[in-house]
Order: sequence, then structure tokens, then C-alpha cells
Amino acid sequence: MMENIQATLYKGPAVEASRPIKMSSKDVTVHYGQKQALNGITLDIPERQVTALIGPSGCGKSTYLRCLNRMNDTIDIARVGGEILLDGEDIYDPDIDVVELRARVGMVFQKPNPFPKSIYENVSYGPKIHGLAHSRQEMDEIVHTSLRKAGLWREVHDRLDEPGTGLSGGQQQRLCIARAIAVSPEVILMDEPCSALDPIATATVEELIDELRENYTIVIVTHSMQQAARVSQLTAMFHLGDLAEVGPTEKMFSNPDDKRTQDYITGRFG
Amino acid sequence: MSDATANGIADAAAARKPRRDIGIKKRYAAERRFKAYGIIAIAIGLAFLVALMWSIVSQGYTAFWQTEIEVPISFSEKVLGTPEQANESQTKLLMANYPQLARDGLVQLLGIDPADKKAVSAANGLISSGTRVTLRDIVMNDLSVIGTTEDVWLYASSELDSALKGQYDLDVPENRRPISDLQLQYIEKLRQQGAIEQRFNWGLFTSGASSRAETAGVGVAIIGSLYMMLIVLALALPIGVAASIYLEEFAPKNRFTDLIEVNINNLAAVPSIVFGLLGLAVFINWFGLPRSAALVGGLVLTLMTLPTIIIATRAALRAVPPSIRSAALGLGASKTQTIFHHVLPLAAPGILTGTIIGLAQALGETAPLLLIGMVAFVADYPSTPLDPSTALPVQIYMWANEAERAFVERTSGAIIILLGFLAIMNVTAILLRRRFERRW
Repeated sequence: MMENIQATLYKGPAVEASRPIKMSSKDVTVHYGQKQALNGITLDIPERQVTALIGPSGCGKSTYLRCLNRMNDTIDIARVGGEILLDGEDIYDPDIDVVELRARVGMVFQKPNPFPKSIYENVSYGPKIHGLAHSRQEMDEIVHTSLRKAGLWREVHDRLDEPGTGLSGGQQQRLCIARAIAVSPEVILMDEPCSALDPIATATVEELIDELRENYTIVIVTHSMQQAARVSQLTAMFHLGDLAEVGPTEKMFSNPDDKRTQDYITGRFG
Repeated sequence: MSDATANGIADAAAARKPRRDIGIKKRYAAERRFKAYGIIAIAIGLAFLVALMWSIVSQGYTAFWQTEIEVPISFSEKVLGTPEQANESQTKLLMANYPQLARDGLVQLLGIDPADKKAVSAANGLISSGTRVTLRDIVMNDLSVIGTTEDVWLYASSELDSALKGQYDLDVPENRRPISDLQLQYIEKLRQQGAIEQRFNWGLFTSGASSRAETAGVGVAIIGSLYMMLIVLALALPIGVAASIYLEEFAPKNRFTDLIEVNINNLAAVPSIVFGLLGLAVFINWFGLPRSAALVGGLVLTLMTLPTIIIATRAALRAVPPSIRSAALGLGASKTQTIFHHVLPLAAPGILTGTIIGLAQALGETAPLLLIGMVAFVADYPSTPLDPSTALPVQIYMWANEAERAFVERTSGAIIILLGFLAIMNVTAILLRRRFERRW
């Protein structure tokens, strides 16, 4: 089945064929009420790579991202069509538990949104509701590892009891990443994770994303083409609800096939 | 050089096309005028508030002091019977002529000839007939006082009290005032003996209804109001919060929920007396609950408070930033977990504030209670919410209908007590808000 999908989906140039496909979507459409926001997106997301979604404002890249862990379910007027597979399983299957899905597909948002609780509670919340820890020691272990993986441990290890909202913007965003990592997801979705951060914090988070690539499949929506170029291996260009082009990042930024991609990258619109 | 530059700028300004007159001066004047209107409006509001508080406090503060007379009472066996008899049957003790003890004591204190009927009667008019209860309680508590003589502080009659507080004009002819010249002489004599004193009026807080001002208090009304507040809190808070959470977070948006929403908002504006009629029809006539009971009052006030709590709670829930919900949902929390772990704790200060303000509203409500019979003469403490009782605002309403001068000050005194409770509740609301408010 996997080969079948891969065969039908690849329209653009082959993307590192060696990488297995983690998530694949076929003809994904989204309607907000009467308005169609996505016109049939067909895209494969390779495992343990960073896939960047770029495109001008309102092109549907965030909408697409939110389909991948069914966050659009929370919007009453949103309707999602088509098929999205995670490891070959349809995530919109009525038998799929959305809670389970979101444990496998974590999310980091545009604005850092730590809970107004302590740093420890922020990270431990996910494992707690999913029952990942059987004892206080196990929970401590999860929290410590997650913070370490998110590169925040050194800065906060002596003040885990302090509120997460008291950290700086960049630290808050890394705390949100630690919170997402704590439930051991397979895929992490990031919706413009650096747009509210200063350049230095952005650099730290980008380094972190690069490190996380070893263990997680990452899909990142970004407004900054430089960021897409720096962190991603695969880039998908969205335009007015369509997938304009998808290809290896290097090629996308040096020699795009699509006129729209070329115009966007050279700054003619966007 | 600098001259040249300055000239250049001046030239440039002159060369620029003159702007249309947009009335800068007028604009500033309008702003100043508007500020002045605002200050005047606030000043008028404050003036009314000060006038209101002044009239209440100046009339009411005296209610917190009550004139008492120290009278040597001889608890004679002749009147009370012996302690042995009392142990056998308390009937005689309960029915004994206590006012006679007080009268004899006062007559002796003033050195009046007991045979002089007129003088004795004048003296007797100085002490409250409420002494019966005071003296009976002393004897019933401790039978050993029988046969001894003790100095006891007795309530003065309300006429004496009012006269001492300067509430009567004593220059008018004797037959046109409630206190006679002879009584005034006695008062003077008592004062010289140091046997007359203004003492703090605990009775105002502890006594129930009474037709004599000096023994009337808001004790029963406070208990009644307390029962009602507890009932309102226990019913309106959970029902209101549950309804708001459902409407705000779970309910589908359709015509039916729109209709419910409009109706809740309308309910908040329904005159409170209508809730009283509903309580009378449903709780008393249909369910058969007792009249004048705090339970029924509490139920009626619950209905009245619900819209306030629901509106406040929904506003508080809506004020929680959506990013918090997204964060929790994104981690795989269910909707219920998101609400109870994150949204509700953040909305709690707003909910508490709304609830306390709703309670304060209910505490001051009179009209619906009149209809369910809580406007009653209740002298005994209600031991359960099913017993007859009154409420603070109703007690004020009833006292305001009394003609006696001493009830006028008590009315204002009770208003001060009610305002005190309201102030405490509102301050609590503010403190809770400050204490639990979190930033995000």
C-alpha cells in the first residue's frame, strides 16, 4: 500500500527516495463554511526530516498543518476532505482516537503559549494525561530529558517550580517544544515557531529543530524563506490553497520549476 | 550660517500652501469642556453618595448605643418562690412577675414612696418592659440568685433612650411630649448616682423582632439572610457554572441555544418581584413548602442570581486566551480535560467575583421575599431553613413602617449593618480577584 501511494503521489522531482514516508496526504481539501481554503493538497512527509511549508499569507499552509493533527476539528465551521495517512493509517478514520493521534503528532504554536503553571507542570502535563509515567521518579526523568532535549535544562534546572510564563520569549517557545516532546510524539508540527522571537532566540530554536530532526519528523510552517532554507530538507510551496511545488530545499531555492515559487522566493510577491 | 538656515526654513514655511483652518483652538476647548462635564458628573454622583451616607449614618449611629439603668434587684422568694419549688416545677418561675422586681428595685433606688402610685408609675415608665426576659434569663440560668440582691443593668425604655439621645424636643409643654417632668427629674437623679449609662447595643445584633424598640434586633434577620445566602451559593454556583460551561464550550450554535442565550439575558432584567410571584406559585402553592421559610427565599433568590452568575461565568470563560486551549488540545487533552485543567482555573477569579456580586445583589433583595411571606414578626431564631425567619432588608422595611422615634434610628442602624455586609462581600470579591488573577 505504501508503495502504491508513493507512486501515485510523487508529481514533482523525487525527494530523497531513501527516506520512508511518515505522513502522506491525498487530495486534502478544507472548507471554512462556504469558503474553500485548501484545494486538494497531495503531499508526502518523509520520516525524520524537516519539511518546510512556505508561501504567502493566506495560502493555506497553516490550515494544512492543522489538518495533520486534526486541530481543525476544534473549529466548528471547518470541514476536511481527502485522506491523510500516518504510517499508513487514515487519521480521519472514525475509529481513530483524536487524543491518541495528538499524542503521536505534537504541535508547537506561533505564539509561545506555556500554561500559567510551573515549568515542571508545563512539561509533565502531557505525560500525566497520557499516563506515561508510573511514579514520581519516572515523571522527573521524563521532564528532565524533555527539557534537556529542548536545550532548556541548563537555564531552568534550578527553578522548575517557577511559572513558565516568567521565562523569556525564546525560552517559553523552547518550553513549549519540551512540552510537546514529553509525550514522545513521532511527528512535531510547528506553526511559525519563531515569528514572535528575536533573532538570537530564533537561532537557538533553529539549532534545536536541526537537532530534533534525528529523532522526530518535523513539519514547520514559516514565513521566512531563509529559515526554510536553513532548517529544512524538503520544502513545499503553497499558493492560494494549492500546492504549487514541492522538492528538496536546495533545489527549491536554487532552481525552482514553478513560476510562482520563483516569484515568491525572489520577493516578487508574498 | 545658522541665520541662513533659519531664514531658509522660514522661507520654506512661507512658501508652503496655507492650511485650511481646522479649528485647533476649538478642538482643545471641546476637550477641556468634555473633561469638565466628566468631573461635574462624578462630583454630582459623589455628592449624592455622601448625602445618602450622611443621612443614614447620622440617623443610625445612635442605634448602636442603648441607655441602660443599673438597678439593685432583690430576687425575692415572695415573688419567685423558693429554689426547691423551682426545681419541682418551673412554671411558677416562668410566669413570675419579673417587672415587679424591676419596679421595686428602681423605686428603692430613686427613694420613692412605694405608696405614691403616680410616682411609681412614672418611675416604671423609665425601664423597658423587656426586663421580664432579662431577669427571667438570669434566674433560669442560676437558681441560686433567688433570695439575694444583685445590681443588674436593665434596658431603659425607648422614651428615656430617645430623650437622652436628644431626639425629643424637651422645651414643648409636658403634655405634648412622651416623657414627663417628673421622669426627667428621676433621670437627672439617676445620672448623678451614676446608675444610668449608654452602653454598646449588642441586642441590636442578637435579638429578634419585638414591638419594643429597645429589645428589637436584627439577629433573626441575619440568620435568615445567612441561610438564604448559603442556599443561593450551594445551588446557584454549581448550576450556573455548569450551565455556562456547557453553553460556552459544548453547546452547538443553533437557534435553540440562541433562544436560551437570549432568555438568560432577559431573565437578568426581569423585575425581582416577578420571581417572588413565581416562588409563591411554584414553591409554596405547588410544592407545598412552608411560608416565611429561608429555604423558599433561598430558592427564589437562586433563580434571581442564576442569570448574573451565568453571564459573569461565560464572560470569564471567554476571556481565557484561545492559545491555552490550543496548547492543551495540541497535547492530546480531551475537551473536558482542557476545560477543567486549564480554562476553569483561569476563569475562576472572574467566576468568584460574579458569584459574590450576585450574592450581594440577593442579600439586598426585598421585593420577592415580601411575596413569599418572609415579612413576618419572628422573635425566635430559626433553627433550620424551614423555620420562619426574616431577612435583613425585610427587617429594615418593617422597621421603617414603625412610628416610634427609637425605630427610626434602628432602621438606619440596620441599613448600616446591611451596607457593612455588602461592603465586606464586595471587598472579598476584589481581594479574591487580586489574589488569584494570573497573567499570561
